Amino acid sequence: MTPLFSLLFDTLDARLKLRGPSRKVANKVFPHNWSFLLGEVALFSLVVLVATGIFLTMFYRPSTEATVYNGSYELYQGAQLPAAFESILRLSHDVPGGLLFRRIHRGASHLFIAASVLHMLRILLTGAFRRPREVNYHLGIGLITFAFVAGFTGYSLPYDSLAGTGIRIAYSELLSLPLIGDRVAFWIFGGDFPTGDVIPRFFVFHVLVVPGLIIAMVSLHLALVARQRHTQFPVRGVDGHKFILGKPLWPAQFAESATLVLWMAGLLTAAAVFIPWSDVALLGPYVPGEVGNNAQPDWFMFWIDGALRIFPPLEFSVFGLLTVSGPFVAGILLPGFVFTALAAYPFAERRRYGLRGDWHVLTNPLEIPLRAGFMLGIWSFVLLLSAAATSDILSRLTGVSIENVLWFFRITCVLLPPLLGLAINRYAKRRLARHSRTVARSEQEAQVAAASTEVAAGSKPKQPAQAPGSAP
Amino acid sequence: MKQDPKAELRVISRTEPPASKLNDSIVVLTAGGAVLCALVFAVALPLGGPLPLYGGALSLGLLLFGVAIRRYFTDRFPDIEAIELREIPDPDHADEPLSDVEALGPRRSFLKRALIASGALFGIGIAAPPIASLGPAPGGTLLRTAWRPGVRLVTNEGLPVQPDDLAMGGIASIWPQDAIGQERSSVLLLRLTTPPVAPTNLDWVVDNVVAYSKVCTHAGCPVALYREQDNALFCPCHQSTFDPSRGAVPTFGPAARALPQLPLGLDDQGYLVALDDFQAQVGPAFD
Ligand code: HEM
Ligand code: FES
Repeated sequence: MTPLFSLLFDTLDARLKLRGPSRKVANKVFPHNWSFLLGEVALFSLVVLVATGIFLTMFYRPSTEATVYNGSYELYQGAQLPAAFESILRLSHDVPGGLLFRRIHRGASHLFIAASVLHMLRILLTGAFRRPREVNYHLGIGLITFAFVAGFTGYSLPYDSLAGTGIRIAYSELLSLPLIGDRVAFWIFGGDFPTGDVIPRFFVFHVLVVPGLIIAMVSLHLALVARQRHTQFPVRGVDGHKFILGKPLWPAQFAESATLVLWMAGLLTAAAVFIPWSDVALLGPYVPGEVGNNAQPDWFMFWIDGALRIFPPLEFSVFGLLTVSGPFVAGILLPGFVFTALAAYPFAERRRYGLRGDWHVLTNPLEIPLRAGFMLGIWSFVLLLSAAATSDILSRLTGVSIENVLWFFRITCVLLPPLLGLAINRYAKRRLARHSRTVARSEQEAQVAAASTEVAAGSKPKQPAQAPGSAP
Repeated sequence: MKQDPKAELRVISRTEPPASKLNDSIVVLTAGGAVLCALVFAVALPLGGPLPLYGGALSLGLLLFGVAIRRYFTDRFPDIEAIELREIPDPDHADEPLSDVEALGPRRSFLKRALIASGALFGIGIAAPPIASLGPAPGGTLLRTAWRPGVRLVTNEGLPVQPDDLAMGGIASIWPQDAIGQERSSVLLLRLTTPPVAPTNLDWVVDNVVAYSKVCTHAGCPVALYREQDNALFCPCHQSTFDPSRGAVPTFGPAARALPQLPLGLDDQGYLVALDDFQAQVGPAFD
């Protein structure tokens, strides 16, 4: 340690007694696998988002009031624009570095959500959600929900033509809630869309409420990972139920994370230089009663947009009391069903196989037929719905009429996911039967089974079972 | 100070990378390069340099500094693989109380329930009114638009419209004279090439000119596109299609209701006016 640093540390240590805890933290062992980096990528994109977001907040004006633009972007000089859009133009074209930071912010938002989704996939595929980590899994589901809300509100803030369309549809989705729709929509929008309250409210959500919740929840999420210890992939000769094998936080994991955060920031910046995303000047501001030809949400909303597109016309009233409509079923019930299925899955697996005790060693989903079927079923469903959100583009590219494209997705979305799910479920069952194995009910049982397959295969453990430090 | 034995690292394998001059040079060069990039960034950004210059410098600087850190750690520390005991929950503590101060006896369980229930009611009581303040009561807002008998149809620029202003097969985006920009009241005015048929209300057609609400009955997007080749109104959001010569009934896509037709007439100066508000529900379904 450099003298200055050790002086600082000693001063603090004398008061706070830091030596013990810091050693404990530095010696924390991290298992090594690339897929464990996905959570970290999500975490570091959050850091980039907060850093760039603070800069953007210095200039953004949360208002829809008509304002005259007097900046350097010629197309809009002297034009009356909604204040939000005008401030984004000024930020992009008249504040040095503004456009760069806006683009980094957008890029990081895509990366944040993409990495969170992939992180969730790895948790689901490998079984990291099993007891005792269900709490953290559900916290994760809450996190991804708020990540979507953050993404959607952020997409709305520039008040460009696409944002206007997104907000309109969100408003109609709220209206579609049976019985309470109009009240809820008026509470959130402050009246019938478009009101002057939408943008100020979305702003408060986007820069204060949602990030506050996300940061609090991520902190808890990480505290739980630290408290419960990380899961790990099976390592021959190591009892993964009792021990974690890996590299200590200091220096190996620290070096890796520091490199990762710098490289991520560097690549996001490079992407911001080369890819002109978020250049809303070309989209134009929100104009009442107008909508662009390419009305597409951000990619992570595609599945909901696709569901809205392919859902057949439906609207009926129940005793004149409440109305059930397509936007409600396709835009609220269906995503609600997907999220509920994801939230419920850990319990389903535990019940189906009568699982007992804690699980710390990750498994191949093909070893658990229910999981293999569920995962392929639900994710192929979500992917097909997302593809359906490009129906107009597909129709234009292929020359197939939009009607036929939609019918294609209507049929495949209903038929394909269950078929794929069943097929892989059958395959996984046969695979187990071929090796005359069953799904292990406890981790100890699973390890005995794994050891016996190894013996049967005649392979010797690479690393002799180290009685590690003759642990208690 | 006695160290917690559990905090000690249980090393399984340890390899020491050989010290390398080359590596040292890489660290120095990349770290120096990062500083240089920061310098370029610091000069180019405030001076209004081009984005690719200062953006590229920032990007390269971050990447180089990443390499410097990576390289710094490669031969400065041994490569350690260690093992850590997972904390197995201690069954000895399983039925210890959470705190050593317990309530006096089992009496008063009614009191406990009363307290919890009134706490919940109290919470709802103070949380509900602020939520209700967030927006006006909908009342009839969603059932009405700004169209009234005699209100003129005007363009985006506020100009009144006569039937002949529209070419055959032409289409225009229209507002009520006193509510330009109020989305719920937006209207599409079309001059059809052939006379419309039922369920179009023919009493509300003037010289083949019809007016329909522009708000999609699916999810509220403006039905902004008119496909001339098959005479269809088309919503770009989820591709609902409506037939303007048959009362704008939906012919394809997710919309379930026709676009409401605006009762249309002429005032004494020959301008198009509304005879009344829409007679059907405008826009998407609600509650
Ligand atoms: C939205 C932002 C999220 C962030 C920043 C985040 C961050 C992290 C990090 C850094 C880790 C430890 C490293 C790793 O295993 O990858 C972790 C572990 C974990 N995460 Fe997340 N996560 C997020 C969302 C989610 C979601 C959506 C889920 C699942 C629904 C989830 C469930 C878990 C679980 C169960 C663990 C423990 C994994 C284990 O011990 O193997 N997280 N998270
Ligand atoms: S809003 Fe028009 S089709 Fe959905």
